Amino acid sequence: MEIYLDNSATTKPYPEVIEAMASSMLFGYYNPAALYAPAVAAEHALAEARAAVAAPLLMKQENVIFTSGGTESNNLAILGCLKRLRGGGTVLYSAAEHAAVRNACLEAEAMGFTVRQIPLDARGSLDLQALEAMLDETVRLICVMQVCNETGIVMPLKEVSVLRDRLAPQAALHVDGVQGYLRLPLNMKQLNIQTYAVSAHKVHGPKGMGALIVQTGHKLRPLLVGGGQQNGLRSGTDNTSGAAGFAAAVRRYPADAADTMRALKAQAVESLQKAIPAAVTIGPGPEDADSAPHILCVSIPPVKAETMVHALAQENIIVGTGSACSSHARKHSAVLTAMGVSPRLMDSAIRISFCDQNTEADVQTAVRAMAEQYAVLSKFTRR
Amino acid sequence: MREVLMMRFSEIHLKGLNRPYFMRMLVERVKEAVKDVHGHVWLSDSRVYVSDFDDVEEALRRTRKVFGVHSVCRAVEMDKEDFNGICEEAVKLLADKQGTFKVEARRSDKRFAMDSMELNRELGHYILQKLPHLQVDVHNPQTRLSLEIRDHAYLYTEPLSAVGGMPVGTNGRATVLLSGGIDSPVAAWMIAKRGVAMSAVHFQSPPYTSERAKDKVLKLAQILSESLCGLNVHLVPFTKLQMQIHERCHPDYTTVIMRRCMMRIANQIAKQEHAQGLVTGESIGQVASQTMHALQCTDSVAELPVFRPLIGFDKQEIIDLAIRIGTFETSSLPFEDCCTVFTPRHPATKPKLNIILDGEAKLDMDELIAEAVANTEIVKL
Repeated sequence: MEIYLDNSATTKPYPEVIEAMASSMLFGYYNPAALYAPAVAAEHALAEARAAVAAPLLMKQENVIFTSGGTESNNLAILGCLKRLRGGGTVLYSAAEHAAVRNACLEAEAMGFTVRQIPLDARGSLDLQALEAMLDETVRLICVMQVCNETGIVMPLKEVSVLRDRLAPQAALHVDGVQGYLRLPLNMKQLNIQTYAVSAHKVHGPKGMGALIVQTGHKLRPLLVGGGQQNGLRSGTDNTSGAAGFAAAVRRYPADAADTMRALKAQAVESLQKAIPAAVTIGPGPEDADSAPHILCVSIPPVKAETMVHALAQENIIVGTGSACSSHARKHSAVLTAMGVSPRLMDSAIRISFCDQNTEADVQTAVRAMAEQYAVLSKFTRR
Repeated sequence: MREVLMMRFSEIHLKGLNRPYFMRMLVERVKEAVKDVHGHVWLSDSRVYVSDFDDVEEALRRTRKVFGVHSVCRAVEMDKEDFNGICEEAVKLLADKQGTFKVEARRSDKRFAMDSMELNRELGHYILQKLPHLQVDVHNPQTRLSLEIRDHAYLYTEPLSAVGGMPVGTNGRATVLLSGGIDSPVAAWMIAKRGVAMSAVHFQSPPYTSERAKDKVLKLAQILSESLCGLNVHLVPFTKLQMQIHERCHPDYTTVIMRRCMMRIANQIAKQEHAQGLVTGESIGQVASQTMHALQCTDSVAELPVFRPLIGFDKQEIIDLAIRIGTFETSSLPFEDCCTVFTPRHPATKPKLNIILDGEAKLDMDELIAEAVANTEIVKL
């Protein structure tokens, strides 16, 4: 049996998701924009799906734009916001941002905006002092992720929001919630977050499906033009089966998932430290308040991360290295570099990420396998 | 009237009594190359022709890669008795040309009424009348228009060069040590170009090397297989042997001992494949295992002759060739291969045979080599 511990890369869809999508395709395949009765039912199903996706953020269905996933949601939030603005200004993004946010911000440079990176501290959290110094009346957009996909640190969104309200109230706040959605509570209105990006396949939903949650009153320009679906903000025939799958995942997601995952993470760190004393946790430990429940970045020098990943995969245990989206390029992680992690630790950094389906036995088996592999592989490294 | 591809062949012309064999092989290779575009292939009068293809550009791309083909022309095939039709077609071919031209007629069918000089004159005259912006230059024309009178008339402008060489399969078989780097695919291609059928050996060291590294080698083999007319790739599990070398041998000597083990394994696989030689992508002095001393040490365990077509090439020359044959991009993908896994900091550049033999004596070499060969996976492309 496979033990899957790379849930930050993607998750296995819940059976309920597959059922909901199959049912939508078999029986609800109508175009929601059409006039006849079955199409109206499809439109209702779509509205219900929006409401389901919005609910955990205490938002409403009208705040939801369905997209093709996290990348599109982030692009729409950033470029769609900046396309509306005239006269330039400053865009700030944290050094921990995913490439989808970072590269969208860099795109803004070509549109005439000044783009600046907010540095991280040694734990990988946002450097709030640096942010305070960067905020002024020229700032138009601030992008800070909810949870860092590489280290699992939870960013201080409340503090960011307070600083923004005090020093740059004109600026919009965009949060990439791909790694935080459902796993941590968030009140968009209270934090005055203008846009929030989510992806379905990170929470046991389908790939190719995501959403951007937009605060009422916040204006965007579309990236795609066409038939004017979703209030003109995202043209293209509505992905009804994707929406059905996404909503099913949200409904199925257990309320106590975070507790389950947090316990597994604590267990993993504790047993890893016993089994492999050389193991070093990068970023926050499970005891820290700003540690996400599901992501653990751990370095096991001198064994290279990819060697350990392959060795574990041979035993049907799947863990990740850094950010899976960019791990084809064998470069050091930009996030870990920004934190000042040594190259030796970076080379050996693997990412273990949990979901509510993992068990204590999974963690036990995985740690035992890692220790066994470590005992052999640490002897055979380049001299 | 129809469009055909007309191919000239290279060295086959120099063959004597066994020339028909080489020509037959060439036709077979061209048939395989254009099978997917449904081309009809035939040999006539020292030319190979392809007609009735679905996609002329694709047929052209494929035939230009067939070893043994010297050049390919996109020609218009016409009834040779309709000289007016030939003239009109010639005007169409030259309509968008500028500057100077020359007609080069060749009359293989000696029963044809006009001789070559007459054909040149008459066709040239017609073209000049219809396209007065062109001029004739018989010494250095900008455009050459060729007319060949055979069983039909064939009209074409510039022929496109092809790879040359000899048809694959006319010259025995060799086994290449394919690493996934830039050099070994080029070496395989160069030997295959001389008519040699190929098989490949790749060494993998999981968990140090990944599924993606294997995937990369198979992609390279796939690219090569088009020119090589298919090949078997033998994927040899090499980790155990490598670990034991690392554990038991002098660190500076691990690379050369590893290379010798690879040679021994490749030898056995080459014999299974009925190959007459081994091929490597080595070039003198490129890395520590490719110094003259190191090459001498690896060669001494190879029972079959080892061919190294890149031996005198600079890296840039190899890269240029890799780009030309289409393997460079895949070779540059960043997946570690087994050669670099345990590279010592200071590999011996002038290894001594007695130290190597001492090191090898400490290994369970025969046993591990037999195990590696027995567990080899074969992928047929």
